Amino acid sequence: MAVSFQQIEEKLKTEARRLLESGQVSLVLAWGRGFDEKHPMPYVAKGASDVDGIVFNEFCTHNLARYLVRYPRGTKMAVAVKAADSRAVVQLIQEDKVKRHDLVILGIPVYGIKNPKTGEIIDGKTTCGLYNPVLYDILIAEEVHGQPVSSPYAVLAEYEAMDQDARFAFWKKELDRCIRCYACRKACPMCYCDPCFIDQNKPKWGEKSPETPGNLMYHLTRFHHLAGRCIDCGECSRACPVDIPLYLFHKKVAKECEEMFGQAAGMSIEDKPVLVNFRMEDSDKILE
Amino acid sequence: MLKKTAIHQLSDLTSALMGKGTLVAPVREDAGFNFREISDAKQVDLNFHNTIISPKSVFFPQTEDFIRYRTGRPLQEAETVEPEGKPLILFGVRPCDVKSFEIMDIHFSCTGAVDPYWQARREAATLIGYAFDVAAPAEPEEFYQTLGIGAADPEGSDIFMVRRGDDLILKSITGKGEALLAGIEGLAGASADDGKFFDDTVAAGRNFKTRFTCVDAKAITKKLEDLFHNTDFWEKASNACLSCGVCTFACPTCYCFDICDETLFGRGTRRRVWDACMFTDFTLEASGHNPRTKVYQRLRQKIGHKYSYHVRKYGVISCVGCGRCTRHCPVGIDIFSIVEEAMKA
Repeated sequence: MAVSFQQIEEKLKTEARRLLESGQVSLVLAWGRGFDEKHPMPYVAKGASDVDGIVFNEFCTHNLARYLVRYPRGTKMAVAVKAADSRAVVQLIQEDKVKRHDLVILGIPVYGIKNPKTGEIIDGKTTCGLYNPVLYDILIAEEVHGQPVSSPYAVLAEYEAMDQDARFAFWKKELDRCIRCYACRKACPMCYCDPCFIDQNKPKWGEKSPETPGNLMYHLTRFHHLAGRCIDCGECSRACPVDIPLYLFHKKVAKECEEMFGQAAGMSIEDKPVLVNFRMEDSDKILE
Repeated sequence: MLKKTAIHQLSDLTSALMGKGTLVAPVREDAGFNFREISDAKQVDLNFHNTIISPKSVFFPQTEDFIRYRTGRPLQEAETVEPEGKPLILFGVRPCDVKSFEIMDIHFSCTGAVDPYWQARREAATLIGYAFDVAAPAEPEEFYQTLGIGAADPEGSDIFMVRRGDDLILKSITGKGEALLAGIEGLAGASADDGKFFDDTVAAGRNFKTRFTCVDAKAITKKLEDLFHNTDFWEKASNACLSCGVCTFACPTCYCFDICDETLFGRGTRRRVWDACMFTDFTLEASGHNPRTKVYQRLRQKIGHKYSYHVRKYGVISCVGCGRCTRHCPVGIDIFSIVEEAMKA
């Protein structure tokens, strides 16, 4: 990158201070210090005096778009986004959960972000394979060009080689490990339903105990609720305490949607979410 | 009684233990270690730091059946599930987790109402504790020393194990432990030097530094009570919190559960399932009212319960500093940092 993480942090602070002091926004969503260097945390600056708490380093994995829906409608907010995170903002705008004019998007072109748990670089595997935000008001660093761009679906090769029975066996084995802490849904920027279907008991859609029937019901439904909406940030998989590779299913569904409808989630605020939009030329493949 | 065995002969020991009862021990899994019922003595792996889920699940499983029934059948045909009292050996438990059982006993057996399921398993269990490596530094998440727990405290275990090079030294701590240890063949006698090493390790464990300085439980209790209405403080503390249940499910001292009726294909069970105060519906009342709709209210409850109300009511902090909540939090919230912030507020 042309700029360092340190420079990104400085620029974030400068912009946050300016936005808060001018009264343009009432809060800035960024990252702040955690209990150690490897664990920066989502951070909210509500005044210029909070700005010094902002940090940016290689472990800033969190998708802060997740916090946008927590504040009352009409709150003027600035949000720091990496490439995948910006798609979540776009998707939330498409779904009318936030208004474009209430947001100041601080776009961060970046690569080399690492999962603090594994040390693995997340760019290609569990993010959308982009390096530059798709929507922003202020660019925090120069756009990244010349980095190898792999298809976000490349990691699906092994999964797609499995037949239907093998896939079911794979998911049963993986999902049986689920402890139903709901970290995946809570980390997900697109999971904003209140209440979530799985928390309802009249009617009851799934069992609460972490056993096969309830686990399959919860995850398979959630996978499909995110069809055409998942922006591939990988937060669900990173949040999972037992490392279930949830991103594989989301990517597979995203790929199918993109092939059928010619549109990936969260790329443009002019788009409509594929499953709530009807066009005569839409694929009928889903009915086959 | 002091015995020892070579680490490479661990499976002989675990195999012998399997002959004495159901053996539950740390096992390496895809995402890390967990305590599991052992079916093959070779599964047991002591090269772990700590497990993902605490061993509370051995006495208080995430799902526990109370009544089994069939829909459409008379009530009298429903069967009660009796508490299990078969001999159980819990192997390789860290001192902070051993301490957590004493705290859980307060709720499940020591305050009048006795939970027969918890108690039956507890009484049938022999605990074999295992010291942290006092020669290696503590992991950054841990703070058991802050809460007065040593890295090699044998108290609470029936047998306690310390690793010395390629050997494992086992010392019986209680009569129950001595009876079990005496019944295991093939263990070597330990020398006086091994005994000294054991005692030195226990002493070193007491001085073993985790990342915080010691605390005054009474001062924290008072401070958190004073801060209860300081919404600004709690909102700031919970800005990042996603309100998921990882911290509570991984926690060795969280004991909240829900009672559910779950029916599938006509067969039903009334069971308890772990619940978490961080879930929105945890406090949802039948009227539709929810006294804790905000994330900050739920986080305040969690921290207040562990560090304040619990101390006020039972005289002990309901936390053993194992660090699991911090280790697994998707957004890196560190419970003790919040307590420290509170003390400064």
